[in-house]
Amino acid sequence: MGRETMKYFCALFAIILSIGCTGGTQSNGTAQDAKPTPAGPIDGPLKVALLTPSSISDSGWSALAYRGLQAIAAETGAEIKNAVAAQAQEAKDLMRSYGQQGFHLVIGHGYEYNQHGIDIGKDFPKTIFLSTSGSQIAPNVGCLRFYLEQAMYVLGAVAAKMSKSGTVAMIGGPEVPSIASTFDAFEQGAKETNRNIRVLRTFTGSNDDVGKAKAQTLAAIDQGADFVIHQANAAAQGVFEACRERGIMAFGTNSDQSAAAPDVVLASAVIVAEPVFVRVAKSIQEGSYQSGIELVGMKDDAIAYVWNPQLLPQVPDDVVQMARTLAQKIREGEIKVTKREF
Amino acid sequence: MGAQAQGEGATNMTEAIGIVAAMLSLGTPLVIAGTGEAVLERTGVLNIGIEGMMLAGAFAGFFVCHATGNPWFGIGAAVGTGILLAMVSSILVLGYAVDQVVVGTGINLFSLGATGSLFVAQFGETGRLVSVQTVPKVGGVWALNPLMLIAVCLVLGAWFILKKTNWGLAARATGESPEATSAAGFSPIRIRTQAFLFAGATAGLAGSYLSLAQTNSFAENMTAGRGFVVIAAVTFGRWMPVGASFACLFIALAYGMQFFSKAKDLPVPYQLFDALPYMLALAVLWGVGGGSAAPAKLGIPYRRNQE
Repeated sequence: MGRETMKYFCALFAIILSIGCTGGTQSNGTAQDAKPTPAGPIDGPLKVALLTPSSISDSGWSALAYRGLQAIAAETGAEIKNAVAAQAQEAKDLMRSYGQQGFHLVIGHGYEYNQHGIDIGKDFPKTIFLSTSGSQIAPNVGCLRFYLEQAMYVLGAVAAKMSKSGTVAMIGGPEVPSIASTFDAFEQGAKETNRNIRVLRTFTGSNDDVGKAKAQTLAAIDQGADFVIHQANAAAQGVFEACRERGIMAFGTNSDQSAAAPDVVLASAVIVAEPVFVRVAKSIQEGSYQSGIELVGMKDDAIAYVWNPQLLPQVPDDVVQMARTLAQKIREGEIKVTKREF
Repeated sequence: MGAQAQGEGATNMTEAIGIVAAMLSLGTPLVIAGTGEAVLERTGVLNIGIEGMMLAGAFAGFFVCHATGNPWFGIGAAVGTGILLAMVSSILVLGYAVDQVVVGTGINLFSLGATGSLFVAQFGETGRLVSVQTVPKVGGVWALNPLMLIAVCLVLGAWFILKKTNWGLAARATGESPEATSAAGFSPIRIRTQAFLFAGATAGLAGSYLSLAQTNSFAENMTAGRGFVVIAAVTFGRWMPVGASFACLFIALAYGMQFFSKAKDLPVPYQLFDALPYMLALAVLWGVGGGSAAPAKLGIPYRRNQE
């Protein structure tokens, strides 16, 4: 074996060794490795970015995250940026770009951003990638899951208690696990209150097609539904419009939607992102953030149900009392509300 | 037993009425826009930008109605917006012979961005579910939407003009051979421009139906591909206003069936109803033997001074 060959072998060995080493430091996607990485307090202003799957003007899912982002800016003086990233590649490019610009926290609003965080997070260890849903973590990738199902359970119970026809309906946008999971909870709440209640489950396939949302709601009302809950985001007005035409009541979701249709929306299941978002941002600012999967619900004041003050007088006292008792039981863990893993 | 059967019958009746109502409600905007598109395609121009014109019309109608409280002002604004976008398109497509697909795509992207930005600027960054004054119903117990009646008039009017007038003859000839139309003393560019403005007006009107007559609100991208459905329906309807209208109503009926089957939880996959109109369109194409009915010069620009 000549000297030249020997040199090549050494070089090859060195390359293999270095690949092995870098591989070792990068393969930290498991829970055991996700030990706290005390980054220390941040000098200068905190930089926070938000990615939403739809426009922040949807009065629902994306809007509530944007309100959380604004709260971070107000409470911590952070520099904020936000963008819509509906496609996977778009989301990855934006996350990479925020990482390069030295953002401290990138919030992806939806479970789809979790995997992107794992992929991109490896290259930007100083940036925390937080997704609101999901189940994978790394030292700088965390999940914050909203237990909206808890409020949906309460509204399901209210619907079942108040329904005269014995039929209630759920109108969804696209058929995705996050929406289906909240419908499971609404149905659970309804069935545990009235075993014989019929719960219709429908999806229009669209978050912005108001016309289809209205037509689908009318079809459900034709089947006898006298209470309707939606998960249609920006298309919600179509659901409310159908209910107004037929003189029945609906529930709002994600945000308090009483103002959208004061004569139709009886109550809303809401996500309050502000306190939780601010808490996470502050912990990153102080350098005490630890990544993990955090499920926030009623006991964290992140989830609530809100009555429409205008229609509340029409609700019997025992229904108001029942809702309060159920919420208390959920808070204390006495009632376990279903939630899908996704 | 008898009472139960009677109850069953009443339910079926309600359900049937519900499906027909859904068909008319979802089909009207398609019919309105389809009439304009059919006339325009007859003259040899393909308006891909119909989706954007509908969306811009939906927003303009909503915006003006919200500001003035009068839905008819909103409808006027929607028609005006459609005409304005058609004017821009016709200058590019007919004046400069820019590729029709490129111009149409540009109009669609512009409308999506512009309406989204204006909506956010007007109603706050996180949006608001806003509801506006609705177009009053007419026809007593039938409670018809006046725009449905306008749709019927539009279809019949377009049919009459295309089939029975000199302008209609020249318009149809322009789609086959603009040179011949020109030799006969008509200006193909002028005829195509007039058809384009009509198509823009109908697209804007169709958009205002979505925001002012059907849902009384606006959401970003609320047209959700209806413009492209209309283009498909015009082909399916063999480039005739009446044919296109039936195609539009058939597609709307399939939607109505789909909503019904989902609400009733029928053991039929609802995707079947989505595919139904297109399956029938394929059957029609197969039956009539391909594209013989298509205007020969559809999508091909005409230059005044070409040799």
